[in-house]
Amino acid sequence: MGTSKARAAPKASATPAKSTEFSRHLPGKTFVIDNGAYMIKAGYASDLSPEESVSTCTSIPNTLVKTRNNKIVIGSQLSTVTDWNEAMFRRPLEKGYVSNWEAEREIWDQSFFDEKTTARNKNTHVADPENTTLVLTEAPNALPILQRHSDEMVMEEWGFGGYVRCIGPTLNAWNEIHSLFGDPLTTSPDSTPLPADCLLVVDSGYSHTTVTPVYKGQALQRGVRRLDLGGKHLTNYLKEIVSMRQYNMVDESYIMNEVKEAVCYVSNDFSGDLERTWKAGRKHQASSEDGIVLDYVLPDPNANRKGFSRPHDPLMQVKKKKGALSGLSAEVLSEDVLVLGNERFAVPEILFTPSDIGMKSAGIPEIILQSLSALPTGLHSAFLANVMVVGGNALIPGFMNRLQTELRQIASAECVVRVRRANDPIHSTWLGACRFATNREELSRVAISRQEYQEHGSGWAGRRFAGLV
Amino acid sequence: MFRVELLQDTSTATPGWSYAPTRGFDPTQAMAPTLGRKRGIRDAGKGGDISSRQANAIARHIAELDRENQRDVAIPVPVRQAREVAARGNRSKTTSNVRRILQSQKTFRNHLDDEEAAIALGTGGGALAHSSNAAAVAARGAKARSSTPASVAGKKRPSAAVTSTSTATTTAASTPTPTTAEMGADEVPARKPKLIKSEFDQDPLLRSYAPPVPSERLMARLLSEPPLSYNASRAKAPSSARPARHFCCA
Repeated sequence: MGTSKARAAPKASATPAKSTEFSRHLPGKTFVIDNGAYMIKAGYASDLSPEESVSTCTSIPNTLVKTRNNKIVIGSQLSTVTDWNEAMFRRPLEKGYVSNWEAEREIWDQSFFDEKTTARNKNTHVADPENTTLVLTEAPNALPILQRHSDEMVMEEWGFGGYVRCIGPTLNAWNEIHSLFGDPLTTSPDSTPLPADCLLVVDSGYSHTTVTPVYKGQALQRGVRRLDLGGKHLTNYLKEIVSMRQYNMVDESYIMNEVKEAVCYVSNDFSGDLERTWKAGRKHQASSEDGIVLDYVLPDPNANRKGFSRPHDPLMQVKKKKGALSGLSAEVLSEDVLVLGNERFAVPEILFTPSDIGMKSAGIPEIILQSLSALPTGLHSAFLANVMVVGGNALIPGFMNRLQTELRQIASAECVVRVRRANDPIHSTWLGACRFATNREELSRVAISRQEYQEHGSGWAGRRFAGLV
Repeated sequence: MFRVELLQDTSTATPGWSYAPTRGFDPTQAMAPTLGRKRGIRDAGKGGDISSRQANAIARHIAELDRENQRDVAIPVPVRQAREVAARGNRSKTTSNVRRILQSQKTFRNHLDDEEAAIALGTGGGALAHSSNAAAVAARGAKARSSTPASVAGKKRPSAAVTSTSTATTTAASTPTPTTAEMGADEVPARKPKLIKSEFDQDPLLRSYAPPVPSERLMARLLSEPPLSYNASRAKAPSSARPARHFCCA
């Protein structure tokens, strides 16, 4: 995309008095929380380069876990858990929105406010919320009542000095995307950051996948579309298939999530791959072993072994039956193995073909077009040329390739289609929020201060974040 | 025989029930009792190629995939020690709002149902209720677009210049026809055939088409739109009528 300069100038000149008035009340320190359903990404905003700044960002599992021995573990303490068998999860977010503040407050308290538990990590300790501005992300199309709850909790429970609640995907437009798309740099690197003009953000996370057209840092609300499929559904689907075909893994969400991350990929030739993993085609034994079928050795917490994947050995079963005679070590003989063939690509496939599980919804590429169809045609080419993918599912191998290919096929032939994965798809939103926070003028334009909240209340805050006041 | 009763206007009726207007004769309703009861229930309503039994099974499967745990478990938030509570003493007292939120046992589904009910009553909390509303805005937007004539679009307004950079690259890349070459950097070639007149200007094969970049006014209007409701933003069914794939063991 070309220059991004046309914007701030008129606005700044129109309301200089107002913006300075706001910035007077806003604390200088800015804390950014990207409140994901799976991981909270949190840290202080700084004007470091993205690489340095990401090292100050901490990922905290957004969950309460009950382990097999009935111990309850919260947030960042999860790293102390070694036995993940039969771990149960309670997440404060449903469908990407905070619906249970009782649990969320506990996680936030432990992660950011409690002096004892945050002692190890100064990067996430909010010592005095009164002197801190909070930038909090939310998923698009949140219910107004839940937005109100967020505002009330942030301002009344913790009492931040300044506060912005913004739609997560839009913040990605603040990242430096010219180099990502291979466009020439139009600004010097140390000028005030400004959002990209047109960016279509595909955010494929834990609970859902959203498509958000972002115009100069703001969402074009009518174009926002959501597919209710995310990483959680992939894990559960894999769990279900494996439980039906091999071991019963229905209570092993954590382990199956690791299996998914280790082996799943998006196929670019679905029927071909299906053919290659066809078990009945035993004659083609040699060709069926060309790398698709993998063995995943399940973790063994008693022997303190982690799970890992390795190429499939079709003779392993026979050898194991022979027991010690086969000359295998005791370690190998005791291990439990999942054989993963078409599960590897049939599972992530539902993001592209939701009808495979009977869902009456289009796949991600067509949702992008559905999103664009609500917008003026003059914008289509600009958005199609700037599709950015963030969120954990972007890391599934083959995802980007498939999206680019399918979008190219169904998009209008005159348009250039460029689909790029953010350099760091997990932290991209958080990084964008940091860049946004360094632009004090823009920040003070949308943020509210503690005094304003106390004066006008949460109803006003909600209207203000909706852009109505 | 007939009793004529003047019905009240909707929405103010007693809570729990209301008069629903019938819009004429609905053949599916009229037909239902004559068919067998079971089949009627199974096939009514859902339409399309699957029975309601299949539809229910699919819905249940999708709900299953949406779960965090296979079994229902209660994981209580650990009770804080008294001294830890005292440690957060410098924090102001818990307000009534906070207490209400923390004690709320409502799930997302409950909130969503409330929201849908509010929208149905026409008091949706700021969310753009449904497509009819959106269509109205679209119509207004379209009007606004048509009311900014070619002269405005032709003038190099900053926004037009900004957004056209990408459109220019796309047209240049995909259709390097003589027309675009002649017009050079001109952003709306189709609208200014006067520049260099030739008999080929109207030739449909040579004309390059770039849709006009929306005006700044239209963009401001689009940006100020309220968000769609949760359900309105859900992805629609695919446009292709290709039947869903089925696998023998999945």
